[in-house]
Amino acid sequence: MITASGITKTYKQRGNMLGARAVPALRGVDFRIEKGGAVTFIGESGCGKTTLGRIVAGLETYDGGDIVIDGTPMSSLKPRHREPFFRRIQLIHQDPYSALNPTRTIHQTLAAPLALRAKQTGRGKAWMEERARELLALVGIDPGYVLPRYPHQLSGGMRQRVVIARALTVDPEVLVADESVSMIDVSLRLGVLALLKDLRERLNVSVLFITHDIATARYIGGDGELYVIYRGQVVESGPTERVISGPVHPYTQSLLSAIPVLHGVERPGPERVVPTEALNEAHPDTGCLFARRCPFRTDRCEAELPSLVSDGEQAHACYHPQRRNVIPVEAA
Amino acid sequence: MTRTSAPGVRVKDLTVVYKTPAGELPALGGVSLSLAPGTITGIVGESGSGKSTLALSLLNAVQPPGRIKEGSVEIDGLGNVVELTGEELRRARGRQVGYVFQAAQNSLNPLKTVGKQLLDLGRSHDFDDLPALLKDARALLGRMGLDGGRVLDSYQHELSGGMRQRVGIMFALVLNAHLVVLDEPTTALDMITQAAILKIVRDVHHERGLTTLIITHDMGVAAEVTDSLAVMYGGRVVEHGPTTEVLGSPRHPYTKGLIRAIPRLSGDIDEARALPGRPPTLGTIPKQGCVFRERCPLRIAVCDTVDPEPVTRDARTVACHAVGHLATPVVPKEYV
Repeated sequence: MITASGITKTYKQRGNMLGARAVPALRGVDFRIEKGGAVTFIGESGCGKTTLGRIVAGLETYDGGDIVIDGTPMSSLKPRHREPFFRRIQLIHQDPYSALNPTRTIHQTLAAPLALRAKQTGRGKAWMEERARELLALVGIDPGYVLPRYPHQLSGGMRQRVVIARALTVDPEVLVADESVSMIDVSLRLGVLALLKDLRERLNVSVLFITHDIATARYIGGDGELYVIYRGQVVESGPTERVISGPVHPYTQSLLSAIPVLHGVERPGPERVVPTEALNEAHPDTGCLFARRCPFRTDRCEAELPSLVSDGEQAHACYHPQRRNVIPVEAA
Repeated sequence: MTRTSAPGVRVKDLTVVYKTPAGELPALGGVSLSLAPGTITGIVGESGSGKSTLALSLLNAVQPPGRIKEGSVEIDGLGNVVELTGEELRRARGRQVGYVFQAAQNSLNPLKTVGKQLLDLGRSHDFDDLPALLKDARALLGRMGLDGGRVLDSYQHELSGGMRQRVGIMFALVLNAHLVVLDEPTTALDMITQAAILKIVRDVHHERGLTTLIITHDMGVAAEVTDSLAVMYGGRVVEHGPTTEVLGSPRHPYTKGLIRAIPRLSGDIDEARALPGRPPTLGTIPKQGCVFRERCPLRIAVCDTVDPEPVTRDARTVACHAVGHLATPVVPKEYV
């Protein structure tokens, strides 16, 4: 189990002669990932969700707060002692076209991490061969076809499956999937999503899913937790289905309203919300971070920062929470 | 010389081939498609379906090793684009047909401000009144919710992805073209920006009286803005009709499968099903018979040998042997 509390991260932008500007990417984010659970982060680009994924995978440092993995706070360990913890958390990149080394066959790609694993557990070459085949079969591709091939000979869906198989070589407990299907053909996308869902069930692997497409989150993590993140702050969270069907924060409502409606199959939600402006990092961060774009803002919103309040299940950071029907309804 | 009304477009039996070591392979295998004047038509398809090749053909801009082998593209006021060459063709591009390229975010010159690039465009089309062109551009950018003056003075890196996309649309419209082709206008943009861009596309389309063609892989994008929808697979248009009808009651098995494969916010999420198999690439498009048969749940014997002709009935065009016939489906081979 992973517990993150109050994670903060600030990037320093190299500035002009008047000094550097600090860009806060995360402003104190709390969440938990249960064993075999699913946690989804949604938000616009630039809201800090990718940074969060990289921090959880141990690829990025954080400035404040802490990540506790199975009871051990990471800040108490030296970097080399953190490694075995973070190895159990594997990141699956967005782009399967650049995540694989084009000069190596799939066999070579899988052999490197498997050799490490074999050394740790005192097993030999035969085990590595067998394990490579087993993993490829697990992600639903024919090992005999794929192993001798180079990445350019495979389709996007197959490559993403190879990337997932590579992540599985080290027997991870958590997979961090950052926009993992956005670059795959539409008819193959659901296959990869179904694989992630299946891995959750069969191997009891937890999934941290980072996306801007909420419908895909509903597919793999419908029973999990959803966090809506905006400019580095969680503005709404709760059980995925509940937040999707009854969002109370205007930002969540804007995100859900922006999803295209499949006219002919479904009808648009009656109370869709559109932000009054585009995302601008330069907006002041006194008061509610969303206030400048919010159609429902009041003077209080611009003056004070609302904190996350929970009713036990669903939490929101808004002075004027109200349920609105924004998601499409199925046409009869 | 510029037209003031929306042109119609008629593509007939268009075949585009790419030269490869394995011989000339067809990316488009005899495509026929009409765009009614004043409508927004969407083309959806996966990578390799030929949708971008079709869009480039409207400008007669298929690059070697590709070439238009046969067929015609008639645009009102321009004639058969396939027969245009040299200077004539260069003038038609931009003036009569506006094109917003795929990844318009990266198609601006990083060394010149947007305004300088606009002036280059004006000069190459012999515009005498360049200040008027700048004024039009500012107005268009203002219409799309940007500060026109500031954007024209900006370099590409000073603009966000959504802003660059709008600049791309401005370039396509500023010479007063009435046929506009947008190739993947919203990929790499997030949901809220996408919704804003789609609204702009729709509004500008109606205000300026355009004929618009949108190429996308995203069924949702097509559903949101288009009046008419064509579904492409393996270099063919397999289904074409009014958008709500194609989505609401798809007839071609590929369209049906594709719609089922989209996770949605409404309805039961567990009803979403992946389409078996994978889309063909240039080299693996079957030489004879139906291009979709390997993945098709309705496959019958005739599919192996005869490429189905598109049949039009009540404004819907479908190219499938099994639709409308009483057919016994065979179990499709399972692929991964």
